[in-house]
Amino acid sequence: MKQYSLLIVDDEERFANMLARRLNLRGCACEVCYRGQKALDVLERQSFFLVLLDLHLPDIYGTEVLSRIRKRRLTTPVIVLTGHGTEDDRKKCLELGAYDFIHKPVGIDKLMAILEKIEREPA
Amino acid sequence: MIAKFRRALRAFQPKFYRSVSAHYNPYVTFTNYRRIWLIGIFLLIATALLPLLVVTAFHYQLIQNSIDSELILRTERVASNARRAVTFFLEEGLDALRFTVNEFGYGRLTDPDHLQEILRNLKLGFGGLTDLSVISQQGLQIAYAGPFKLEGRDYSDQQWFIQCRKQNLYISDIFRGYRDVPHVIIAVKAFRNDGSYFIFRATLETERLIQILDSYKSGAYADIFIVNRQGFIQTPSAHYGDIFEKMSLPLPSYSSRTEAVIYNDIGSGPIITGYAYISTQLAHTPFILMVVKQKQGMLGPWQELRSKITWFVGCGILIVILVMTLTCTYMVNRLYQADTAKAETMALMEQNNQLVSMGQLAAGVAHEINNPLALINETAGYIKDLFVIKHQYKDDKELLENIDAIIDAVDRCGTITKQLLGFTRKFDPKIQQVDLARLISEVLAFHKKEAEYRNIEVYVDVEGDISGLETDQGKLQQILVNLVNNAFQAMDDGCILEVRAAAEEADRVRLTISDNGCGMPEDTLPKIFEPFFTTKEKDQGTGLGLAITYGLVTKLHGKIAVESRENEGTTFVVTLPKQFKEEMRENESSSG
Repeated sequence: MKQYSLLIVDDEERFANMLARRLNLRGCACEVCYRGQKALDVLERQSFFLVLLDLHLPDIYGTEVLSRIRKRRLTTPVIVLTGHGTEDDRKKCLELGAYDFIHKPVGIDKLMAILEKIEREPA
Repeated sequence: MIAKFRRALRAFQPKFYRSVSAHYNPYVTFTNYRRIWLIGIFLLIATALLPLLVVTAFHYQLIQNSIDSELILRTERVASNARRAVTFFLEEGLDALRFTVNEFGYGRLTDPDHLQEILRNLKLGFGGLTDLSVISQQGLQIAYAGPFKLEGRDYSDQQWFIQCRKQNLYISDIFRGYRDVPHVIIAVKAFRNDGSYFIFRATLETERLIQILDSYKSGAYADIFIVNRQGFIQTPSAHYGDIFEKMSLPLPSYSSRTEAVIYNDIGSGPIITGYAYISTQLAHTPFILMVVKQKQGMLGPWQELRSKITWFVGCGILIVILVMTLTCTYMVNRLYQADTAKAETMALMEQNNQLVSMGQLAAGVAHEINNPLALINETAGYIKDLFVIKHQYKDDKELLENIDAIIDAVDRCGTITKQLLGFTRKFDPKIQQVDLARLISEVLAFHKKEAEYRNIEVYVDVEGDISGLETDQGKLQQILVNLVNNAFQAMDDGCILEVRAAAEEADRVRLTISDNGCGMPEDTLPKIFEPFFTTKEKDQGTGLGLAITYGLVTKLHGKIAVESRENEGTTFVVTLPKQFKEEMRENESSSG
């Protein structure tokens, strides 16, 4: 099993931790952030295979985080994972270069399938 | 029969005549169309008829006055002509006597044969003479020619004799003589060479005088006769009394000229009286000439004109009333139709808005549930992972924790679902006790996440003593949802929303929702409750939210007011009656 490094950004702490644990069991190294600013800081220091980003963050809205990531010319794929997303949000995120826009709850197998798909695609 | 008539009448009744359905009351501009209709008709008719009536009355008066003066003029003319003729008749008699006296002298006049001859000649040339007599200074009749044997009679104590001695000439009243024929005495005083005097007297029959008067009579309504200065009738009158009796008209006051007056209060209707006090150049007479005309008989052409005017004005009034009534009915009916159509649309929109709110609510709830569901999903998945991947399950604290997490998440979903169910139930139109604090917190709960993300502070302040509010919870909830939605849309991140509820007076509750968001410019404030008015960009707002809110507040017999300053914020104040009164409720239900 391939070792992926993932950054999970979500203010729902329990959810983020649980998802990280399950991805760990599937051989992924996960970092968890509860705030947008924190995530941006972490991304400054460390590079990841993928970022899982929630939209409704208490400090910076998800789309703003996404656009700041793009401004820093980071090519890390970002999957937006949200419980509140509207159609407008989806459009905006895809315009900002999100890899995918997924509604919560999402099956872990589907998530793993997406990871493998990204892996297969040429960088 | 009457019922049938009423049914037939109802077919003509305009639609607005029955009052507007109370169901539309919050949305219609006017409620009492019958009143508008009546006032409209009254004003239109009054405006149209007033000038017509004033002009007609003015015209009428003008014609009446000119006819009166014309009648007076005509009567005066007749009286004046008749007066001249009567004066001439009397002067002719006096002149004849004076001529005779001067021509023949005392000697021949006292000769009976001569006197007889003179009488005969005068009768031939003059006519209407009955007798002639010569009376001495002492009043003794010296000579007489005529049908009676009157020689030697003493007139010294008679009124006419005394008068004649004083005035030289005398004209008597008309009286019945021995032959019962009306006649008049004229007499002249003449001097003899020795300085003594005698009186030469003639009795005239009135036949010719009456003929003269009759010749001036015109028409059946005219009467022309002579009265003496005491008002006794001297020549026959057709309508105003018998001869030698007092006339039934008032005696006109003295005037040296011919005059005419109108008497309106005589029994036979208004009359025009022309009169003249007759006096000859030689002697005064006791006569007053009366020309009396009944006004009624002289008004023929005027009455014809008047009936034409009356017909014309009457028809005009009828046409004005008819046209104005029809016009007003038509206009009010159109107004009613437009108003009803508007109200129907508004009511429909309120319904649509309710559905939209429900849809928004459902979407909001679904979103809210997604987060706990995601947690359940991950936690349950992890437990499965524990079994499948890690093979450790017994006496495992982590497992228990995770199961607790699942139960927690399910609990969260349950809360949201319960709220959703509660929300839906409250749409039933039902008057009930409302826990305002709870209602406010329920409404705000749906904005809790948004407030958190957008860093919006929400203050709620519900005074303790406003328990016992009784109203339609669904409508109140929708009012709150709409106003809070508006506030959230108006606020930038980091703003403050305040929701306050307090008792106002004894029986009202005041609800204040204020934000320090973008506010509204002053010139848009009067329009914000109008349907389809919106300041939001296209596709963002329907412009119905506040219009519907306004309708809902009205339905709850409350009032809504707004204060706003651009870039400073907006405050909506809703005041509601604490008790939704019984008769109001009946209105509500009967309309439904």
